[in-house]
Amino acid sequence: QNTTGNGTVTGKITDETGTGIPGATIQVKGTDKRTIAKEDGTFTIPVTTGRETLVITSVGFTRKEVPLNGLTIINISLAGEKNTLEDVVVIGYGTQKKRNVTAAQASFDASRLDERPVTRVDQALVGQMAGVTVKQTSGALGKGFSIQVRGTGSISASNEPLYVVDGFPLTPTGTNAAGNYANGNPLDNLNPNDIEDVQVLKDAAAAAIYGSRAANGVVLITTKRGKSGKTKIGFNSYVGFVERSKKLDMLKGDEWIDRFTEMVNARYVAEYGNKGATANDNNDRRRQVLGVAPGAYNTAYMTDERWTQPGHPGLRFIDWQDETFRKGLMQNHQVSASGGTDVVRYYISGNMARQEGMVKYTDYTSYSARANVEVNANKKLRFGLNISPTYSITNDPGVEGKDNIFHQILSMSPVQEDTMGLYPNVGNNDQYAWSTSTNSPFAKLQYVIGETKRFRTLTTLFGEYQIIPGLSFKSTINLDNTDNDSKSYRPYRIASSKSTRLAQTTLQTSGSFSSFKKMNFVNENTLSYNKTINEVHDIAAVVGFTYNSEKIDNQTLSSNGGFKTDGVITLSGANGVTGETRETKNFLLSYLGRVQYSYNGKYMLSASIRRDGSSRFGENSKWGYFPSASVGWRVSEEEFLKAVPFINDLKVRGSWGKAGNYAIGDYATIPLLKNYNYSLNTVSVIGQAPAGPVNPDLTWEKSETFDAGIDITVLKNRLSASFDIYTKHNTGLLLNVPILWVTGYSNLLANAGETRNKGWELEITSRNLVKGPVQWTTSLNLSHNTNKVLALSGGQNQTIIPSAYGTNVQHSILRVGEPMYSVFVVKQIGILTQDDINKGVALYGSETVGDPKYEDYSGDGVIDLNDRQIVAHPNPDYIYGITNTVRYKGFDLAVLVQGQRGGSIYSLLGRALGRTGQGTVDNALGFFRDRWRSPDVPGAGKVGKAYSTFGQIANTDWLYSSDYIRVRMITLGYDLNRVIKAKKVMQAARIYITAENFFGHDKYKGGLNPDANNTDLSGSTQYLEPGDYGGLPLPKSLILGVNITF
Amino acid sequence: CDKKLDQTPISDQTTANFYTQPGDFIQAVNATYNSLLTYPDRQLNLSETRSDNLYAVSDGGVRDWEGINSFHRTIAGNPYVTEAWSGNYTGINRANVLLQKLSEKGESIIADGTLRTRLEAEAKFLRAFYYFDLVRWFGRVPVLDQTVTATEALNIGRSAVSDVYSLIISDLQFAAANLPDAYSTAADKGRATKYAAKGILALVYMTRSGPTYDINGPGLGLNEWGQALTLLNEIIASNKYSFLASYPNIFSYTNENNAEVIFDVQYSTGSNPIVGGTFPWLLAPDAWFQAVGKAVQGGLTIRPISNNLLNSYEAADTRKAFSIQPGFTSSNGVTETRSFFKKYVDLTKVPTNRLDWPINFIVLRYTDILLLKAECILHGAPGTPADVDAIVNQVRARAGLAAITNVTLARLMEERRKEFAAEGSRWHDLVRSGNIESIMTSWIAAEDVQKVMQPFQKNYILYPIPQSELDVKPGLYEQNLGY
Repeated sequence: QNTTGNGTVTGKITDETGTGIPGATIQVKGTDKRTIAKEDGTFTIPVTTGRETLVITSVGFTRKEVPLNGLTIINISLAGEKNTLEDVVVIGYGTQKKRNVTAAQASFDASRLDERPVTRVDQALVGQMAGVTVKQTSGALGKGFSIQVRGTGSISASNEPLYVVDGFPLTPTGTNAAGNYANGNPLDNLNPNDIEDVQVLKDAAAAAIYGSRAANGVVLITTKRGKSGKTKIGFNSYVGFVERSKKLDMLKGDEWIDRFTEMVNARYVAEYGNKGATANDNNDRRRQVLGVAPGAYNTAYMTDERWTQPGHPGLRFIDWQDETFRKGLMQNHQVSASGGTDVVRYYISGNMARQEGMVKYTDYTSYSARANVEVNANKKLRFGLNISPTYSITNDPGVEGKDNIFHQILSMSPVQEDTMGLYPNVGNNDQYAWSTSTNSPFAKLQYVIGETKRFRTLTTLFGEYQIIPGLSFKSTINLDNTDNDSKSYRPYRIASSKSTRLAQTTLQTSGSFSSFKKMNFVNENTLSYNKTINEVHDIAAVVGFTYNSEKIDNQTLSSNGGFKTDGVITLSGANGVTGETRETKNFLLSYLGRVQYSYNGKYMLSASIRRDGSSRFGENSKWGYFPSASVGWRVSEEEFLKAVPFINDLKVRGSWGKAGNYAIGDYATIPLLKNYNYSLNTVSVIGQAPAGPVNPDLTWEKSETFDAGIDITVLKNRLSASFDIYTKHNTGLLLNVPILWVTGYSNLLANAGETRNKGWELEITSRNLVKGPVQWTTSLNLSHNTNKVLALSGGQNQTIIPSAYGTNVQHSILRVGEPMYSVFVVKQIGILTQDDINKGVALYGSETVGDPKYEDYSGDGVIDLNDRQIVAHPNPDYIYGITNTVRYKGFDLAVLVQGQRGGSIYSLLGRALGRTGQGTVDNALGFFRDRWRSPDVPGAGKVGKAYSTFGQIANTDWLYSSDYIRVRMITLGYDLNRVIKAKKVMQAARIYITAENFFGHDKYKGGLNPDANNTDLSGSTQYLEPGDYGGLPLPKSLILGVNITF
Repeated sequence: CDKKLDQTPISDQTTANFYTQPGDFIQAVNATYNSLLTYPDRQLNLSETRSDNLYAVSDGGVRDWEGINSFHRTIAGNPYVTEAWSGNYTGINRANVLLQKLSEKGESIIADGTLRTRLEAEAKFLRAFYYFDLVRWFGRVPVLDQTVTATEALNIGRSAVSDVYSLIISDLQFAAANLPDAYSTAADKGRATKYAAKGILALVYMTRSGPTYDINGPGLGLNEWGQALTLLNEIIASNKYSFLASYPNIFSYTNENNAEVIFDVQYSTGSNPIVGGTFPWLLAPDAWFQAVGKAVQGGLTIRPISNNLLNSYEAADTRKAFSIQPGFTSSNGVTETRSFFKKYVDLTKVPTNRLDWPINFIVLRYTDILLLKAECILHGAPGTPADVDAIVNQVRARAGLAAITNVTLARLMEERRKEFAAEGSRWHDLVRSGNIESIMTSWIAAEDVQKVMQPFQKNYILYPIPQSELDVKPGLYEQNLGY
């Protein structure tokens, strides 16, 4: 051992897997002695005392300092840029040491996402982060999830966050009133296997640097980059099947017959009792009473004799749900390669995914590729290109939503003519006389074409120049281009009634084509400065200017007057076509600045400001400022805490900031004309008039957040926890203020409303077992959020949300002091008995014994709309996720359990399938089994009698808890290298089996998915109230996969 | 770069670049006519349905017309009531915008003085038309002869009924003086004429002459039957209109703009955006359209015709079979025994889109002018009982009925009821006749077997002010009595 000096040290720099890192820089600390590691990672460096410290740096790895302590041969393993307090995290316009973060920011390490079979990035985020609600609102293929950060604060604008991919802010897109992303979701076609890291900026201090788009939080997504070193080839592949996770309990054929018969008899006796009708009359007798010809039927008063015959000859009992679903095959294959030198680093990948839907005749195919390349042109100049072209094809004939296929699957009569099979009222088949007149929804699945093809390319080009050490200029050019084409075709054979469609084969066929082109161009220029003075003052500053343009071109074409022939499905076969093109664009200009200061890792301070100017807003309000500030104190660095051995790290944080929400239409402040045509002498004439009043002061919604948090690590780093408490105050909410109709209009868009979200979030990671053969980690996140309306427009105390389905279906309210979109209906409190009637309890209309009993909230002796009260609110109070990871020898097991509590669903699907007085033909929810049949057979006390003619009023019948708990994922993996011993060939080989959504429990009996959104309930763009009117169950899948790295 | 923040819409025109050529003003007046498109539905929903013509108790009580038919007190939020308010004020605002722009720059842009005056007269005719509809439904309503901002509107309360009429009458007088007798170009056929203005003005005088019922309603108890008669006689004397020999031909899809039509709401089918009508399918239940092999028409249930109306037709009356469909048997064998209106439905002309029926809706026709004349005479305007008998018998003869003599006011109104069934005039006729309380009360007693209707009160002559209007600024508009 050379302890006196003037020797050399040799060694090897490797990554975590033991592979050499070529090009890593080894420097003797405090000197200018440095060297570069060779191709295999080995190095030699001269030292003087042998007690120096080596500093090893390499792009993509965490800087490491190693005291030599006299060693002359040393192997040093570098960790990837992750996992420790020294980690750097991505923040808006830069990175920051994780230990210095003073804002509320949630992290999701996505680097191993390719070991899990997820098809979308948003799917991967379910249940992972406190305060981040990820709702799977659709069971259809390829649909975006809805993400909400810290609840919802906006009434009419979007509540979805801003997504930023590799520094590129994507066009924020909210859901439309039906809960869909009409012009695509920002995460569409983004291949989850390419994702390295996801950060969610939850408070305004972190997010405000994104200004007018940050009020709903910001999600920063980083894709994989190459690291210096040997080329790594990855192959990930999985195959499995997907099927429904739940089936809705509907009446079976014989139960439907039972209900039908009961109702027909009751109606017959009620209306013909004075002519001697009794329930026991057979059909011949009924024909006499009704005056119906021999052999003819009046299905309103007569039943089908075959119902009661043994084996019901000639009839078929159909479980429409069972006929609709299948086990669909899903598969995904990805190949990636990454590597590089200190000059060039690359990550390239190609991916193919194909899913057959759990619903027959639906599928989704996607192809995507990515190339992320970075070049260090010289010591000062670095540039790079990320490009990701993707293409996807979705086949979905329109399954979800009101009166769409799945809704009809549920309500279709379960008894049909045997001869028609699954095709009643299709083609040459008439409808079964006692059935709904719907054309077989199964046939619609089969014959309706609904194909969407989407080509999207995300591109980022950047250059970074170091002006002097610590000061660098970065410029990026980004383009997100989506071309989306949708084609639909509905042949006559599934349209109208038999006589009409056969008479009008061409007229009853319809088709349409629509497309959009969405372009988002962003140029960002930042100057950043990083300096450490005297090893204790850490200063980071950034200033920047950005330019953002968003443009959408829409085209629609549809057949007008049917098709010329049968067999051609494009509009070339249409009998006349009408169409329209529309274009809109908006621009956003921004200036931004931020300073961060940290003293000795102990006291942290950060402040930022952004100034945004948007073309969307009025003359007087184009520009706005969005400031923020945060402070942190690492208490564990203080002497008094250093003495406490079980606390490894303790930091307290506080932050404040203002952000905005610019999600309104592109021209909302400009008085537009609209066509109001008239007709003169059978010819249409153009009329134009102002479409509405405009408000030149219109500006973004403002959101102000206060946040206080604590991060603590204890027990030898075994247990770490974060706790945040916050309040988010949204003001100037874009509300259509009701104005008097004498102005010619009903409302004026203004910044009027005010809401507040309050809550807390807890994240705990516990490494339960670290030593020994079994390693077990538990991560838990739990968050609580409540929101409240603080003010509405014009000093109003409340606004009843309109309903798209008539005044008697109105069911929600905005009321000052109550949660947004509270459910406001009459409360059902039981079933009316004769005793109740004798006592004169309040009745709705002509109610009689066996009908529902409602609470007379107004106390005026009758049940009417004045008896509505707030009975529930839609947003859950608590959301949680727990992930347990266990490793044992070569096995790894991960289980994710996730759920929510405290919210409610007002289900219009539940109303469609289970309303009071529901007719005979539609199938009904299973709870009708336990209906009131007579005073002696009162059933379960919830559902009144089947034959009920008093009408209906929106009431708690259709109110369900949205609580659920779901075992979202169970993955069991095994390290194949343990058995095949091929480490020389394959660096890693793992096989796994995953069960997604296999177990769960919810309380939603009126539908299948408590998070489902597919239909516009308010019918008004002023009030975004999507809800469930025929949402599919969540798919569950069982998948076998393999991950191999060469 | 900052200039990028000043964007103008790519796919829509803005007010900044409109009203710059004569064609823009014509488009602006066309948009004012556009508000007529909902007028026929409104007459069905608020006049026919509320009157003794229909016993529109719906199956299950879920239809919006339920509360209208049954005199519920909670209909201030009813969409039909709200539409009557909003639809008319939308039209009034369009007229006011146009009139303002005409006075601001009409002279500099429209060189043709005749056209300029005609456009002003058309706008004033329509404004009066919309106010007249409002005053009949709501009584006292805010009167504005210019556009107002949302803030200004908060200080404008309901005007006296007489003030509403002042504007209506001055507008219609201007229109009668300045609108052409007829339009020379076919493309303008359907626009308001001098005689349309006179006819509506006559009806305005007659309506004002009806009893007050002490409710601040459309009747002011004025004795203006003579003024009305003068106008009606001018229309008759113009010889521009005539009494069609065939009743069905008045409503024929192939005989629009016929000699009976003084003023109508015009529709046509197959255009984009749609300028077709919806009232034909609102009359009849969807099941009937399906039973006869036609496309689905909105899934509506039946609005049955009252037994009282059915039984009032004399056996020989040919109008009954034309106006009324006596039930049907549905495709799955359900027999519907109740009757419903089918007056405007030509089953050979069912459009692909149920919102796009081509048939015009006649607001005022020559037969009405004649019968209104008879009514004026019976109220004391110049004329003889023989004149009245002659008019009524002309109408009866066309319906295949024998002549009668000594026609009374009650008899005249019964004749009107059958002649104009489904044309939306029944409620207004009842109100004007002075007999609405007794007729409705005895009708409810006889007809409401399901006991779902509230007892009639005279307050129900008026509809409530829409709740949404009251909510904007509580206290600005007081609610009508009875609601």
